[in-house]
Amino acid sequence: MEVNPPKQEHLLALKVMRLTKPTLFTNIPVTCEEKDLPGDLFNQLMRDDPSTVHGAEILMLGEMLTLPQNFGNIFLGETFSSYISVHNDSNQVVKDILVKADLQTSSQRLNLSASNAAVAELKPDCCIDDVIHHEVKEIGTHILVCAVSYTTQGGEKMYFRKFFKFQVLKPLDVKTKFYNAETDEVFLEAQIQNITTSPMFMEKVSLEPSIMYNVTELNSVNQAGECVSTFGSRAYLQPMDTRQYLYCLKPKKEFAEKAGIIKGVTVIGKLDIVWKTNLGERGRLQTSQLQRMAPGYGDVRLSLEAIPDTVNLEEPFHITCKITNCSSERTMDLVLEMCNTNSIHWCGISGRQLGKLHPSSSLCLALTLLSSVQGLQSVSGLRLTDTFLKRTYEYDDIAQVCVVSSAVKVES
Amino acid sequence: MENAKDGDHSVTEESPAAQAGAESIAKQAPPEQQAQLLYPEETIDLGGDEFGSEENETVSEDSNHFADKLNEHMMESVLISDSPNNSEDDVGDLGCLQDVVEPVEGSTDHRLDSNTTEKEEVDALSNDSETDGDDTPRDVSDMTPDSRASLKEDSMREDVKGRSSLGNAGAEELMPGGESADPEEQGSDLSSSQSSSRDEPVPVCTIFSQSNSAPSQPHLFLHDGFESQMVKSPSFSSASETSAKTPPQVVQPSPSLSKFFGDTINANSLASDFFDSFTTSTFISVSNPNAGSSVPEKLSSLTAPTGEESPDSADPSYSAGMARSESGVSTASLEIPESPKPFSQIQTVFAGSDDPFATALSMSEMDRRNDAWIPSQGTRDVLISVATQQCSTVFIDKENLTMPGLKFDNIQGDAVKDLMLRFLGEKAAAKRQVLNASSVEQSFLGLKQLISCRNWRAAVDLCGRLLTAHGQGYGKSGLPTSHTADSLQLWFVRLALLVKLGLFQNAEVEFEPFKSLDQPDLYYEYYPHVYPGRRGSMVPFSMRILHAELQQYLGHPQESLDRLHRVKTVCSKILANLEQGLAEDGGSSSVTPESRQASIQLWRSRLGRVLYSMANCLLLMKDYVLAVDAYRAVIRYYPEQEPQLLSGIGRILLQIGDIKTAEKYFQDVEKVTQKLDGLQGKIMVLMNRAFLHLGQNDFAEAHRFFTEILRIEPTNAVANNNTAVCLLYLGKLKDSLRQLEAMVQQDPRHYLHESVLFNLTTMYELESSRSMQKKQSLLEAVAGKEGDSFNTQCLKLA
Repeated sequence: MEVNPPKQEHLLALKVMRLTKPTLFTNIPVTCEEKDLPGDLFNQLMRDDPSTVHGAEILMLGEMLTLPQNFGNIFLGETFSSYISVHNDSNQVVKDILVKADLQTSSQRLNLSASNAAVAELKPDCCIDDVIHHEVKEIGTHILVCAVSYTTQGGEKMYFRKFFKFQVLKPLDVKTKFYNAETDEVFLEAQIQNITTSPMFMEKVSLEPSIMYNVTELNSVNQAGECVSTFGSRAYLQPMDTRQYLYCLKPKKEFAEKAGIIKGVTVIGKLDIVWKTNLGERGRLQTSQLQRMAPGYGDVRLSLEAIPDTVNLEEPFHITCKITNCSSERTMDLVLEMCNTNSIHWCGISGRQLGKLHPSSSLCLALTLLSSVQGLQSVSGLRLTDTFLKRTYEYDDIAQVCVVSSAVKVES
Repeated sequence: MENAKDGDHSVTEESPAAQAGAESIAKQAPPEQQAQLLYPEETIDLGGDEFGSEENETVSEDSNHFADKLNEHMMESVLISDSPNNSEDDVGDLGCLQDVVEPVEGSTDHRLDSNTTEKEEVDALSNDSETDGDDTPRDVSDMTPDSRASLKEDSMREDVKGRSSLGNAGAEELMPGGESADPEEQGSDLSSSQSSSRDEPVPVCTIFSQSNSAPSQPHLFLHDGFESQMVKSPSFSSASETSAKTPPQVVQPSPSLSKFFGDTINANSLASDFFDSFTTSTFISVSNPNAGSSVPEKLSSLTAPTGEESPDSADPSYSAGMARSESGVSTASLEIPESPKPFSQIQTVFAGSDDPFATALSMSEMDRRNDAWIPSQGTRDVLISVATQQCSTVFIDKENLTMPGLKFDNIQGDAVKDLMLRFLGEKAAAKRQVLNASSVEQSFLGLKQLISCRNWRAAVDLCGRLLTAHGQGYGKSGLPTSHTADSLQLWFVRLALLVKLGLFQNAEVEFEPFKSLDQPDLYYEYYPHVYPGRRGSMVPFSMRILHAELQQYLGHPQESLDRLHRVKTVCSKILANLEQGLAEDGGSSSVTPESRQASIQLWRSRLGRVLYSMANCLLLMKDYVLAVDAYRAVIRYYPEQEPQLLSGIGRILLQIGDIKTAEKYFQDVEKVTQKLDGLQGKIMVLMNRAFLHLGQNDFAEAHRFFTEILRIEPTNAVANNNTAVCLLYLGKLKDSLRQLEAMVQQDPRHYLHESVLFNLTTMYELESSRSMQKKQSLLEAVAGKEGDSFNTQCLKLA
């Protein structure tokens, strides 16, 4: 093996160039006025320059496309495109050429060549061209392995390979936060940060809910019949910018019945993110299933069905509560007690029997109360006692109401 | 061999890190054991581990190493050099080819070696001997169905294969008749192995860990309960959601290499930056104390008092300068014989005019209009005191004077010729003839000649000579001097050319003494004896724009904006004055309505020019929303450019990736151009459609529209170039080259543009290993057509 000459020329040359989107040529406008020393010269020079915009030479951004200057960065979810050219540098005809392009990632090896058929012959100064595309699905080191095999005129079989290594980087940072409303609704805040080095146009950031939920996107407002994004005209994210999206999830009817007994970890759905960068270079990512820890409700859950947001001082108002037996198999016999607080005064009889409540079933309860103090008041003081187990459940800070003086006209 | 060593180096850097990762612990086990272990498929990415768990040093080292590789647009082969025999890998392969009937033992030893020495996957790919081993089982897989399993495992994790491939390697070597060595066979083997690996379930790649506690994760949102989320490619969704817990990775964004829109750190992202290494090269100024004396006699038209003289001395040489500036049209001045008489000014004005009084009047009208400027309060006070003779100018604080001088006196050089000397030899280089500062008339006429034939370097030199004659030569900075309208024009031309050449630093140092272009000695009122009755600033308006714009090229766009806003304020004030019936500077005036109208028009267009610069600056700052607003504002001042500006806004939006809004703008352009109906409007519409298709990733359609433009206007440079670019993306390199070459040959004078040449040389590099010759022939073409301002970087010869 060592006998081989140190450098044996191959007849074929393999060249690989990454095809990121081309860029537009920008020029440096330098103008002068008629009365200045150069007269019209500077302006004439700009008009003669083919890279300026005809009729608007001062406009920096031209129309001339330039090929990518360097490899650039590649991010997860983007498409890796590459030009592979095998050129016959020799002056003889080469036969049975087979070009293969494989992409080796840390977990797999993919074949990217469009065709695996051998080319019968390649004349001198001709090329075999291939453009490969691959949507990058893994982060970290990737190696493009290009292998070329061919037969010389002398019948000698030749083979060589080249390796091109590149790193795939993470484009986005996604953080989420859940907020459980008093009702069964769940709000999801998602912060998406652009951690690339170029501006990123967010084409789509949507939440694909799991089967249990319906989702409402709260990222646009209706202004005069038109849906306007809450982000205004700024449709893109500068590098390191973070944007916060908000979604409201409601359990579907069929699941809502059982919502009271949803416990532990539930799957909410996943975020689907599509972005575009330079000249429409597209990327797409999905988060994994977002999971929420359902708040623990204990054995008996008391949730609110209806409550006014603003009430008059010292005037009774009604709320509707829903009491759900969350235990797995235990029937409960409940007694409701209502304890007044400094500001909240319950109307009606305390110590009322609510009757038997079977597992996973619920009952609705209309209650009347009034507030003696103005301002935002917390509704507290409900006590449920299970007479079978002699266990009392306390419900404080169930909800807030805004109490205003009766002089102020309460709207709606 | 160097390459290979390099690779080894990086491998050693990587391995401790990989071992640190939880997943790679098993790797520390001896290879013998490994061979028997079957790894679960969700084993995770080594590269990823590096990012998360590695020490910072190592990461940076690795990425540096990588960054080197990325510096060129052509993908660099990582470890294997161009010649296969340079690396052990191909030696191994060749050995395989030639010594087919090599004894089994020998080859087994070889495999054993490679498998025991290499443990990591990364090595498997980057290390030569291991890649050889990596090949082997593939060959086998086709021959013996049983070995499929081992292949599968192999493609997932190289290090698992150990023993099985070892055995198979032996088997391979036993195959008779060189069958295993047949390259074509190997090829098909490859493909079959690929298909098998593709069928396998794909592991989910975890990029974000769900735990926030890892130290490397930014703690920014910890307190408010935000959780990091894993993101993965949607095509992975079918795969199991089992997310292997890797430590959160902090991706180090590698320095962006795309200068136009990809880059954020470096605000100085001009096109010429790529091409022009001169922009960053520091000049070594050669002191030239005799510069003044060496100036030929012909310069005399500019002869001004030397720095020592007090500026207000009414001296004959002054009037000479004054005469020229009064004439307004500089060409006229060249014809006027130098006159030492103090009243030559009047003669000049009268020269060649039928109605001398009318001419004088209109000239001064025009001067008033053009030169008008509103000085700052401090400057105004000085000017008033000069006018009322309260104090002699001698007492004016040196701080308030403008004392420019050349900071470097010779930048001459012809990069094209230098390259020719290097690549084509002396003989060819001798043919290169360009004008230099000495080969033209030492006057404005010669200067214009140099500029128009694109010998800007020589023109910069000539400006230097003329300024030296004016007493503002090399080393004169900081010495008292006097200014004339001409000296400032010369400075403007010199600085403008430096900017055009991309020599921003040089322009900056020479601009520095002018401060904010508002010192009293830059106003005509400061020289009542030289310019009696004349008012306003001697600084050309274009020089103010240049002064402001220069900062953005130096990476201080904010400063550019500040300066532009100052200019804008004055423009607005002047316009307001005019509209209130006052003179430009706010004084009462007896301006005729026509003259006022002309003045309003002039200042409106100047205001528009400032807005244009602001828009360009915002674009450089990548503040696209404001840039779009600014360009829209420009339309109000240049309504005739509406279609171009709307198209430009559309292209900006395309660059950001906002295809939909871009389309809206392009539709607006179509509406506007419908009214115009002309060839140009048609071309614009087609161009925009082509760009829109580019944005939609449809190169074939884009190509179709660009070719349509060529049908209407075959000489359209942009369409020609863009057609060629589309062809390349469609995989038609040869066609693309033909297109560009034909274009350059068709009209070299016009199409030897750096962007076109850059594309052409890039394609040459992609086409064959013999791009050098082709580039050199381009150099020859350039040598015959282009001046010394040609940017040789785009030939990529160096």
